[in-house]
Amino acid sequence: MGEPAIEVLGLRKSFDKKDAVAGIDLEIAAGSLAGLVGPNGAGKTTSLSMMTGLLRPDAGRCVINGHDVWANPSAAKAVIGVVPAEARLFERLSGEEVLEYAGRLHGLPAAEARKRAAQLLDVLDLTADAKRLVADYSTGMRKKAALGCALIHNPPVLFLDEPLEGVDPISADVIRRLLKRLVGTGSTVLFSSHVMELVEQVCDHVSVIDKGKIVATGTTDEVRGGKTLQQAFIDLVGPRSTDEEGLSWLGSSSN
Amino acid sequence: MARLLVELKLRLVRNALRSSTAAQVSFLVSTTCAALAAIGTFWLLAQLRPLSSSVDLTTVIFSIFAIGWLIAPIFAFGLDGTLDPATMALYPLRTRQLVVGLLAASAVGAWPAANMLGLLGVTIGLARGLGVLFAFIAVALQVLFCIVLSRFVITSMARLLRSRRGKDLAIFLVVPVFAIFEFLIQVIPRAVASGGLSPASFAGVDSWMRWLPPGLAAHSIQDASTGHLGDAVARLGLLVAVIIVLGVLWVRSLGRALVSTDTTTGSSRVHNAALPLARYGVRGAVAARFLRYQGRDPASLAYWAIVVVIMFVCSASTIVGPHQHPAVVVASAVFGAAFAGSLHANPVGQTGPAFVFEATALSGRRELRAYFSGQDVVFGAIAMPLLVGVCLVLGELVRDPREGFAAAAVGLAGLGAALAMSNIFSVVLPYPMQKRAGNPLPQQAQGYGGHAFGAMIGTLVCVAVAVIPVIVLGNLTSSVSAAIRIPVLFGLAAGYGFGLAWLGVRAAAIVGEGKLPELCQVAMRTSL
Repeated sequence: MGEPAIEVLGLRKSFDKKDAVAGIDLEIAAGSLAGLVGPNGAGKTTSLSMMTGLLRPDAGRCVINGHDVWANPSAAKAVIGVVPAEARLFERLSGEEVLEYAGRLHGLPAAEARKRAAQLLDVLDLTADAKRLVADYSTGMRKKAALGCALIHNPPVLFLDEPLEGVDPISADVIRRLLKRLVGTGSTVLFSSHVMELVEQVCDHVSVIDKGKIVATGTTDEVRGGKTLQQAFIDLVGPRSTDEEGLSWLGSSSN
Repeated sequence: MARLLVELKLRLVRNALRSSTAAQVSFLVSTTCAALAAIGTFWLLAQLRPLSSSVDLTTVIFSIFAIGWLIAPIFAFGLDGTLDPATMALYPLRTRQLVVGLLAASAVGAWPAANMLGLLGVTIGLARGLGVLFAFIAVALQVLFCIVLSRFVITSMARLLRSRRGKDLAIFLVVPVFAIFEFLIQVIPRAVASGGLSPASFAGVDSWMRWLPPGLAAHSIQDASTGHLGDAVARLGLLVAVIIVLGVLWVRSLGRALVSTDTTTGSSRVHNAALPLARYGVRGAVAARFLRYQGRDPASLAYWAIVVVIMFVCSASTIVGPHQHPAVVVASAVFGAAFAGSLHANPVGQTGPAFVFEATALSGRRELRAYFSGQDVVFGAIAMPLLVGVCLVLGELVRDPREGFAAAAVGLAGLGAALAMSNIFSVVLPYPMQKRAGNPLPQQAQGYGGHAFGAMIGTLVCVAVAVIPVIVLGNLTSSVSAAIRIPVLFGLAAGYGFGLAWLGVRAAAIVGEGKLPELCQVAMRTSL
């Protein structure tokens, strides 16, 4: 295993006395494409928010490429790109304006930001819609625009929260290839998802989070232990409900 | 179906009441206002009895209620599920069932009841003899006309109102409504007090209004009271015909609206190729984004228009009244600057979740200074000519241009103080915002009323205190030649204002440096 690009130690966060993240430790090697999987409400988004400096943890630390996110946020933010679960974009900017704005906020010269924005829009198949307002974009287009914004300053570490939620299969394939290409150049990607097939296909490292705790972590093969990742995941977190007795009326034959 | 939809409406109200204390307070305030409106309208209409122009004034009041029914649902659309036909589209309902149900649901509530009871004041103010019976029928038909008109317009505009452009339109409507409201509560009472407006002013207005539906209702009462029963019946018949035509149009538009629920927003293309201010780093980037928003965000445009309305209203008494107090233009400048600042004092909440986008790049004190000063550059570039221009116009209107120039100088200093306070409050008292029923402009989220009030009052007080030296200087130099006084006053006020704004940027950056995660949480709790 190489040097860790992401190192999380004892990260903890509570909301109204309820532990959203109950002290997690994580180590992702540089050049990994890592998945953070868990059921709804497991703490994935809260963990990623704390790792990216958007949510102050109650305890613990997170180090990205040697920079402590909370002790030295400027240095840490310079080396990360973030794609939140709900694309938080400026609705009244056009697609190309929002990418250029992201580049300039990260200190790129305007001309370079424009050049990269045009290239990213092309790769993400958004060129035809580049001059439309983000407010008029579909969910998938917004995801792709958010990914472009996160990539424009060429961050060595990329965090994505549910990156393929609401994205059509063609666009999903584009995003998958883009992430693999990024990792191929030595960058590190950590993304959260509850789509096991996707994680199984693309990730070389998987961590399973449930009720705010990491219940399994390692290479994808280690975590699934000879089963499908879906089955391994269900075995780890347990099925949520099996009682379907009360639904005897449901189904065509019951009419 | 009518019963089900009425029950749905009552259940929605009941659930809203259970949701929070703020909702209970809001319901109580709304119901109290409706009761007061009913009593006030009844009393007002009853007072018209001895007046020769009572039918003209009744027509005007009936028309005002009809306009209210027309406008209010546009503001509430998207927030009141019972108004949008799309919410019913998935259920196997016939259009006729739906029409009856929606009509019944519309007629239930404090405001429809207040409308009905208030307008019955005509039984005292206008009706005599058999006219009383006609008054009950005419008022019932007037309320029915209002409901059907409101439903027809809303249903016809459903596709538009559901879209971004429709929501933008609703925001723009806030400005004339705000201006009319201010006109009614500030200017009209003063005009009445000074004798500039009296019941006689309305004489003859119904020469054309009598043929509109509210006029038909009012005049049928008058006709029945004066023994012209044939005319009264004919007018009511005409009103019924109008309601039937509107009803048919409503049914047709409802049929169309039910099968056009998936219509997407018509998208617009922008013509600007790249963001401006490329040479100025992060400050230039933030300024460029803020500049784009000032032109494209209807809320930003509405805020600037509201500032202009406030400035004119402050000086209205001197403009329209017989008593001249030119110094009131200075008050306009102070209020204009203060409200410009307080309306922009919560950029994190106003930006909403997109602030997180900026927060992923901003972290140090230097970047935050660039962030605040970038916004201030654009804010100042818009506010300075606006405030100076309005002050000069007001100076002309109060027939004292010198006072207009002095007020403009005060406005420049006030603007600097307003910028400083808006930046400081944006990190000291940030609060999430949300859209609420009855107002298309985003308001502070429930539980944050104190933050919004504190920021507004704090900005007002600080601006008022900060401009005192400029006002004193203006008074001390009032006898100096204008050619010397005005440039010196302008230069000193602008320099002073710039200094205050600069201090505000530095203070906000120092406080904001350690609070970025908390600001992000405020932004993420915002729903625009």
